[in-house]
Amino acid sequence: MMASRNAMLRRVGLVLGLVILAVMPWLLGSYQLRLFTEAVIFSLFAVSYNMLLGYAGLLSFGHAMFFGWGAFSFAVALNHIPGIPLVGALALAVASATVMGLVVGVLLLRVKGTPFALLTLAFNALVFAIGIKWQSVTGGDDGLGVVAPPLHLGLGQINVSSGANLYYFTLLIVGAAIAFAWYFTRTAMGQSVLLIRENEERMRFLGYNTHVSRLILFVLSGALAGLAGAFYAILNAFVSLDAVSIDMTTKVLLMTFIGGTGQFLGPVAGAFFFTYVQNFLSDLTDNWPLIMGALFIAMVLWVPGGLAGLAAKLSRGRSDDDQDGTLAGME
Amino acid sequence: MGEAAVFFLHGLAYAGLLFLVSSGLTLVFGMMNVLNFAHASFYMLGAYFAYSILHYTGNFWLALLISPIILLFIGAFVERYLLRKVHVHGHVHELLLTFGLAYIIQEAVKLLWGTTPQAMPLTGLLADTVNFFGVVYPVYRLFIFCLSALLGLGMALLLFKTRIGIIVRAAVDDNPMVDALGINVPLVFMGVFAVGAALSGFAGVAAGPLLSVFPGMAGAILVDAFVVIVMGGMGSLGGAVLASFIIGELQSFGVLLFPDFSLALIYMLMALVLVLKPEGLFGEKQ
Repeated sequence: MMASRNAMLRRVGLVLGLVILAVMPWLLGSYQLRLFTEAVIFSLFAVSYNMLLGYAGLLSFGHAMFFGWGAFSFAVALNHIPGIPLVGALALAVASATVMGLVVGVLLLRVKGTPFALLTLAFNALVFAIGIKWQSVTGGDDGLGVVAPPLHLGLGQINVSSGANLYYFTLLIVGAAIAFAWYFTRTAMGQSVLLIRENEERMRFLGYNTHVSRLILFVLSGALAGLAGAFYAILNAFVSLDAVSIDMTTKVLLMTFIGGTGQFLGPVAGAFFFTYVQNFLSDLTDNWPLIMGALFIAMVLWVPGGLAGLAAKLSRGRSDDDQDGTLAGME
Repeated sequence: MGEAAVFFLHGLAYAGLLFLVSSGLTLVFGMMNVLNFAHASFYMLGAYFAYSILHYTGNFWLALLISPIILLFIGAFVERYLLRKVHVHGHVHELLLTFGLAYIIQEAVKLLWGTTPQAMPLTGLLADTVNFFGVVYPVYRLFIFCLSALLGLGMALLLFKTRIGIIVRAAVDDNPMVDALGINVPLVFMGVFAVGAALSGFAGVAAGPLLSVFPGMAGAILVDAFVVIVMGGMGSLGGAVLASFIIGELQSFGVLLFPDFSLALIYMLMALVLVLKPEGLFGEKQ
């Protein structure tokens, strides 16, 4: 009885949410819509990050290498392959992020815990160094301009490089990717990663190849981050080394943690929270990272489960099939 | 020949600096299992405090003495009032806390001292050069190397030859037993963290005159120090010595031999070590 009512409420909430998302361009001015689009893109980035941190218990300090790699692959494909369609360039960006995830994953997943975290940081630094030095391809410190071609449909073409069109295009593709990530975490494959986090030895005894499971998750997470990076490039009409920097990794880590790693939508909340608070604070003062850092420490100290954990705590007592809001697996 | 010797000595000086930074990092990690992301920020604070002390007193030795002491107290405070509070939530929260701290220190430094690089001019003996086997070489770089060797030796003696060292190592292995023996274990951990912070302070003071003092100096050395402790083996002092030497020399000769790839060279070497020996050169298998 209770459960079916909850399911009803969820369905109503989902429909209501979709309607609100659909009418956003009428509610917001162009600047606000751009900010909202950015938050949607960062939502995917944070969701992909949380697949590692929340689900597999892998703390990465190098997630920007996939984000930036995707962004640069997208820009390079558009600049060097004449006549490539938009979808083709997006697919190439995702494919190259996937390959990178495979290579980096095979190397890095051999270690766990803190050494893993450190190595992702070092690999991120390596990719950044390549970005600076390989000027002929990446543009070095100058970055690359990105002119997204129009989207070809059967009847005509739509310009998706800015405004409401970009918003809807982002919502469609990025939203689908987030939905896919959600679906993946519900599959047997995704759930097995969760169980590996809790007790790897037992899963091995049960016959799971835990290395392969983790690698698949890692690669998928990298591919989704790459897609987010490509959309970030469209949004800015520009890619700079900022996209692949440690600062970008910092950003996604803060978003994910502030939102909460325990529930799937936590990082989405975190991405929106971070994007809007950063926007607000940077209008007030140049030293906004100081306030952001203090906020972050306060959360680590007093709200260890993030916004999602806080919400769960407030509505405790209701039946809840989501996982607990704590991190495990970093021993 | 002379040029190679100069580059070797340059590498040695940077290795000394790296060891000063990574020894504190590896000490805290080895003893408390906490990866301190703010360690390089402590190093930067050490450099800025030294800069201010030198600016007002003109005495470098005073800076070398007082700046690490200030860091000792900052470290103790951070452990007692921040780190200890999140200990119950596990390693990730401890790590994230130090991460947030690094964020704050970075901005605070910009706010207090500005963003322009500041020079720390040396005077007297330290500003001199010596004739070193036919090579004219600045005294200060040799001084950094000697300082790090001395501190490394002192730390090894303290940990492995004294009663304090026995207590610290025992507290790591069997926390409840040491506690039952009447030793204040939380105090021991606070001490370890504070000493780690003080070591980073020393490194910061030493780095100031060499690299100048600027807000990006924490980020610049953090990744190198992490490479050192991963390559050497997490928590191994001996590994930190060897890896600091390798990275220091590689940095120095890399700039000479492959100017375009010197940065990437370090990470490639690290990846190679990792492929052959995931636990690091002197590390223990997980």
